[in-house]
Amino acid sequence: MSGLLSWWTDHFTPMLSWWQWLWVLLVPPAIVLLYFLKLRRQPLEVPSTYLWRKSIEDLHVNSIWQKLRQNLLLFLQLLIVGLAIFALLRPGYRGSKLIGDRFIFLVDNSASMNSNDVAESRLAESKRRVAEMIDQMRSGDVAMIVSFSDRARVEQLFTDNRRELRRRLDAIEPTHRSTALGEALKVAAGLANPGRQFEFGENRISEGLPATLYIFSDGKFPAVQGFSLGNLKPVYVPLGNPESTNIGITSFAVQRAEENTLRSQAFARIENNGSQEAKVTATLLHDGRVIDADEVHVKAGEGSGVAFDLRDLASGTLELRVSPGGNLASDDRAWAVVSSPRRGKVLLVTPGNDAVVFAVGTPRASQLAEVVIAQPSVLDAKDHLQQAAGGAYDMIIYDQCQPKEMPQANTLFIGRLPPLAEWGFDAKTAPDKIKGPQIMDLDSAHPLMQLIDLGNVHFAEAIAMKLPAGGTRLIDTDAGLLFAVAPRENFEDAVLAGEIVGADEKGGKYANTDWPLRLSFPVFVLNAMQYLAGSRQAVDTGSITPGRLLSLRSDSHTQRLTVRSPSGRSEVLARTKGGMFHYADTDELGIYQIEEEKKPTQAFAVNLFDSAESDIRPRAENTIKIGYVDVAGVASSESTRRELWRLLLLASFCVLLVEWFIYNRRVYL
Amino acid sequence: MTMPATETNQLLTPELLAQLERLELVSRKVFRGRIKGERRSKRKGQSVEFADFRSYVAGDDLRFVDWNTYARLDKLFLKMFLEEEDLHFYVLLDASLSMEFGSPTKLHHAKQLAAALSFIGLVRADRVKIETLGQPARRPGPIFRGRASVWRMLDYLDGIAAGETTSLATGVKNFCLRNSGKGIFVLISDLMEKTGYEAAMRYLVSQQLDVYVIHLLSAEEVEPDVKGDLKLVDCEDQDVAEITASAPLLHRYQQTLAAFTSGAREFCTRRGMNYLLATNQLPVEQLVSSYLRKRGLVR
Repeated sequence: MSGLLSWWTDHFTPMLSWWQWLWVLLVPPAIVLLYFLKLRRQPLEVPSTYLWRKSIEDLHVNSIWQKLRQNLLLFLQLLIVGLAIFALLRPGYRGSKLIGDRFIFLVDNSASMNSNDVAESRLAESKRRVAEMIDQMRSGDVAMIVSFSDRARVEQLFTDNRRELRRRLDAIEPTHRSTALGEALKVAAGLANPGRQFEFGENRISEGLPATLYIFSDGKFPAVQGFSLGNLKPVYVPLGNPESTNIGITSFAVQRAEENTLRSQAFARIENNGSQEAKVTATLLHDGRVIDADEVHVKAGEGSGVAFDLRDLASGTLELRVSPGGNLASDDRAWAVVSSPRRGKVLLVTPGNDAVVFAVGTPRASQLAEVVIAQPSVLDAKDHLQQAAGGAYDMIIYDQCQPKEMPQANTLFIGRLPPLAEWGFDAKTAPDKIKGPQIMDLDSAHPLMQLIDLGNVHFAEAIAMKLPAGGTRLIDTDAGLLFAVAPRENFEDAVLAGEIVGADEKGGKYANTDWPLRLSFPVFVLNAMQYLAGSRQAVDTGSITPGRLLSLRSDSHTQRLTVRSPSGRSEVLARTKGGMFHYADTDELGIYQIEEEKKPTQAFAVNLFDSAESDIRPRAENTIKIGYVDVAGVASSESTRRELWRLLLLASFCVLLVEWFIYNRRVYL
Repeated sequence: MTMPATETNQLLTPELLAQLERLELVSRKVFRGRIKGERRSKRKGQSVEFADFRSYVAGDDLRFVDWNTYARLDKLFLKMFLEEEDLHFYVLLDASLSMEFGSPTKLHHAKQLAAALSFIGLVRADRVKIETLGQPARRPGPIFRGRASVWRMLDYLDGIAAGETTSLATGVKNFCLRNSGKGIFVLISDLMEKTGYEAAMRYLVSQQLDVYVIHLLSAEEVEPDVKGDLKLVDCEDQDVAEITASAPLLHRYQQTLAAFTSGAREFCTRRGMNYLLATNQLPVEQLVSSYLRKRGLVR
């Protein structure tokens, strides 16, 4: 009995309640009744019934079959109604394991899911499978959809509204990002496991009930460490064809020759993630025009480099294309921006300090940045105040002086404290002095302190300072902090507590330290300039990966920047408090143009450049590891329930057509 | 011909009349005897149409000896002439209700046919007699003779209306009682007799008549256009047959009809009668000038 019941629930999902069924089941008897009522034959006068009688007599021999044939239309009508009723039972056969009542569908939409080795794309295939699963949900079942790449996004919270689920599922867009399952798991777990409950806006759901977690992915992500599934029952649905091949560009950059900054070269690395050696054509385009091409042989599973001499190419955008590119298209093209070398702008405010002036004047330093030297009197000038507030400088070095307000730039203070309470500054009282500090420890891992040896450096005195929150201690002495760096909004302030050149009460100058005599001093200044004035380098030459937040700076005082994406979508950015412009919509691949007052000023490229995503071959072992649990992939073929009601309805329509045809065209058996 | 055009239009058209004037009725039985000259005629010698020679036997009329031949061959030959005699032509029409069906009605078609054949007979000075099945045994129909009677004949035909209820067998029997001569006999009927047409035919066999049976059916009987569930009502006896029109039934009907007509043909042929199946869609001129000519009724 229970076996029969389970067979019934397996194959049928009645769509109506019992009283509706009662009405539906009344239809066939009604048809039969109406048919007999209708069977009043039409009288027709004929010359003679002589021949008709003889004909009927012959046919009466097999009368049962005759009656059947005569009532053909009735039987067809009953067949139509029967098929419709059967369709209402929603028959189907299911091979899937939709066990629980709550489902969480994690849909991978990272870059590798754009591969077209399965149907339209892996993402489309996984969306199709999720849609099938949504279709076979019973009433009362709830499901949630989460898309994930390097971040997770809740597309739809737990709901039993299948239409809404399908709508949200369709809205999942492919991305070019990398894959990280961890965050998606946390989101799912937060809704399934008690104690770690998430709240999303008004929709507070989930009391930590068990749920089945379906992960639709090609498995191109590292094992998730330190995660407990708790109530979640994971099902991994692997996607992707193991035979798929992909040849992709994993890096592409333009570099200027060390010896001659006017000449530049483009380098690219092409990886072959297939099982056979590939011969690909790499084409280089400059502003859309082909300028060079090369043929590259890449062994299976390996990478190969390719270089192009750009001669004196000064500006513009470069695009590299490889063909054939395999199943994933997004890494077959890469972009780079060629721009004239940009130097940072550094302002040195000093009443006179030969050591520092010499250090910022070395060829290497002047190659890095353009240095302007000014007297402390400039700090009160109106022009300077405007420039400082408008972010005209990348870095300002205050030697033996300090501004009244902090500028919109990175700063290096020598022998003075920034006018901020966090550093222990008090405008009314002079800072405490430390006599003869002995250097005890330094953070040589920090970029500011690289290649610096302070073993034989001495300071006569220094001022006492406090380390602001988030700051880094760089040089510690027995008496206190000597050198530290701390963030301020978008900038960083470095403070060296000891003067290089001290001044006594009478205004006489004396050397406070012997550091300028050591080799490490110019290196220290160079480090500071590189670290504090060279931060724009990343945007200028390199490219960023999709989805990354980008902070842009403008040389002018404009309050608005327009960023035009490769597809032509433009977004106007407003200057933030820190004088920066933030742009987050970097999901498209290609060249983004930055415009100031409708004039293009800068450009940057967004490239995939992700070996893990370019390697689109699905996970070989067919299992994923979440915490200590191995989740085996389930075979794709058994994961769906085939619905028959559409076929049945179609069949009943066909029968209706046949009936209509028989009735009107007098086609009889 | 001096006849009002409207009257002609109903049964015979001028074109048909012109065509019919060139024809004459032929009786196989009567002419066979005359050609051989075995039967003496009352009006011999009045003819001018030469037929044949034969040797002279003692007792022959010397007036018919061909003296020119005797002069050349020194033998006596007798010249024989065709005897011209009027022919008895009978038409028996079925005017039952079932003949009222079809477009044109079978009865109208039958009248046209009768008119055409009678006209041929009248033009050739034959003796034409038209009767219907329902006519009482003791009341013979009118006799027409000569071209002048054409008008009367058409008028008479026009007056025949459907609605007679006499069975085929009774009608033919009555006819045979009234008329006991030689000649050509044409029966125009649909033969739709529930008791069978055979009895009626047997009456005719005993007569010394050259019998032609024209089996006239309407298009609706040959190719019935019925669909759905029907109650067929016989127009004569109100008999009811319930049918559901279906392909096998229609097929069966065709088979039955074919068996019926071929049965009638065989029955007639075996008894020396001529059988002709015609429908009301077949034009009278074609029926007369082509079909009946082939059968030898006219030439």
